[in-house]
Amino acid sequence: MIRAEHLSKVYRMGKIEVPALREVNLEIEEGEFLAIVGASGSGKSTLLNMLGCLDKPTSGAIFIDGVNTASLSENELAGIRREKIGFIFQQFNLIHSLNAVENVSLPMFFAGVSSDERMKRAAELLIKVGLRERMHHKPAELSGGQQQRVAIARALSNNPEIIIGDEPTGNVDSKTGDAIMAILKELNHEGRTLIVVTHDAEIAAHAPRVIRMRDGRLLEQ
Amino acid sequence: MKDMILLAYRDINERKARTVLTILGIAVGIAAVIALISVGYGFRQSVTSELVEMGDLIMVLPGEASWGEYMELGRFNDRDLKDVERISGVQEAAAMASRAEEVEYRGERKMVNVIGVEPQDIDVIFGDIVNTEEGKGGRGLRDNDHRACQIGYSIANDYFDEEIRVNDRLNIGGKKFRVVGILEKQGGFKAGVDSGIFVTRRDAKSILGNDDISEIWVKIRNIAEAEGIADEIEERIDENHKLDDFASAMTMGSAIEQLNTVFGLLQAVLVAIASISLIVASMGIINTMLMSVMERTHEIGVMKAIGAKNRNVLSLFLVEAGLVSAAGGVLGCVLGVIGAYVICMCISTQFGMNIPAMVQPGVMLGGLGVAVLVGILSGLYPAGKASKMSPVEAVRYE
Repeated sequence: MIRAEHLSKVYRMGKIEVPALREVNLEIEEGEFLAIVGASGSGKSTLLNMLGCLDKPTSGAIFIDGVNTASLSENELAGIRREKIGFIFQQFNLIHSLNAVENVSLPMFFAGVSSDERMKRAAELLIKVGLRERMHHKPAELSGGQQQRVAIARALSNNPEIIIGDEPTGNVDSKTGDAIMAILKELNHEGRTLIVVTHDAEIAAHAPRVIRMRDGRLLEQ
Repeated sequence: MKDMILLAYRDINERKARTVLTILGIAVGIAAVIALISVGYGFRQSVTSELVEMGDLIMVLPGEASWGEYMELGRFNDRDLKDVERISGVQEAAAMASRAEEVEYRGERKMVNVIGVEPQDIDVIFGDIVNTEEGKGGRGLRDNDHRACQIGYSIANDYFDEEIRVNDRLNIGGKKFRVVGILEKQGGFKAGVDSGIFVTRRDAKSILGNDDISEIWVKIRNIAEAEGIADEIEERIDENHKLDDFASAMTMGSAIEQLNTVFGLLQAVLVAIASISLIVASMGIINTMLMSVMERTHEIGVMKAIGAKNRNVLSLFLVEAGLVSAAGGVLGCVLGVIGAYVICMCISTQFGMNIPAMVQPGVMLGGLGVAVLVGILSGLYPAGKASKMSPVEAVRYE
């Protein structure tokens, strides 16, 4: 379902070239739960950005459902992010001026879903992640764990096949982290592909498949 | 679109103080333009409507005249007046001899315009609205008056330290005159009446030392013939003086035309000056929007990460700029209307001219449209900048 071939990414800082990914080959099956671990600077976030269509590789190709995303335009990539991928960030990254239900409905707004349908689905998703009572609260009025639940609900709003989590439990306490992981695993059981980047061995232990990165290379699969 | 407006509104709401200042910036610009246009229309209307009332009059001057510029080439004489009276279509012709003369009242000396005119002709020239002030106003001039004068309202009340009353004595050009009447306040196009002293032509001759006529006013029977009669008047007088283009006969129609040109120009200049504030306001919008884009870089990254296209981000910021400027436009319309009325009130109390504030819906709509246009144009650069951000870099930005 996702296939990376000879994936390389080089960042240019003035005249210095910094390779972040070197010749990465990776295949992820539909419905798989994959954890990517590695030290900071190992290239795991860069790989995640490529897989999530947030960034383009310097060379190599990424196929998502058979389409090489490295050759797509910015707007086509936005379309893939909107329809096929749900992002969960370490910092939650909610829009501060919008309340929970509006945050969740935002990806549907960009997808052109009607207002009534958006609000209905956003409410359902918030109930699913246990925030029935917090729907009209703004992010500043929610705890870290609650904000991350809103972010998960938002990631699910366009019913994507792939969920990408960049240190999804990095900013919450361990108990909340377990609860977040439980929700993510449930999503995986529903059949969604789950890719999580973490440096926390405990979190990685939830995943049936773990890949380790160092200096922009995959160490083991 | 409704959702986009709602989304933009939420963002604007987060930055109230800055938004209010930006809105005020636009509002002041639009208000200035609307107020000046409205007062200008009112001014034009009040002057031309007075001239329209005087549509059956032709003013004849000995010189080349166009409004705003006049070069006197000499004086008329009684022969000219008689020739004009004989032209068919002319109902009456009135002669005026005027010159600034030294006038002394209780030891105080001032230069005042002294106008010599046959008493029955005052009506021809100024219409029948020129009356003596009720009660204390005295009477009008009479044919057989000798060394008597009728004075304008301002002369009686404002010119000299002490108020001039009926039966007071004035020394005009070294000769003693008795005030027989004080005229009502005129203002507007007839403001000249307020600052003049009227004597019979016989007395004017004794003050001015000659029988010259400085202007002739002609009342015609049919307004439609005005232009033709004016041409004939010029021809006859030019013939008398053996000069080309000596007399200028001005119908009120041509006066209105010339006034409109002058007013149009004046208004264009004023609006151009007021427009500078709009340019400043547009820079305010650019500044506010650029700051907003910078502050929200991370948010823009998040929106793109969750699937917003460049177009979505662009329209979000453009709608925001449009909303802010539309609010400025609406406020500007309200302030502009209030401003127009205040300016007219000030003109009325300061200069005694009654000018209506003519606020036209079209001008207000135009103001609103210009505000939104300025807002959207100013928002283009910041919005374009926001839309082109790379999602991965924007998300990382803190």
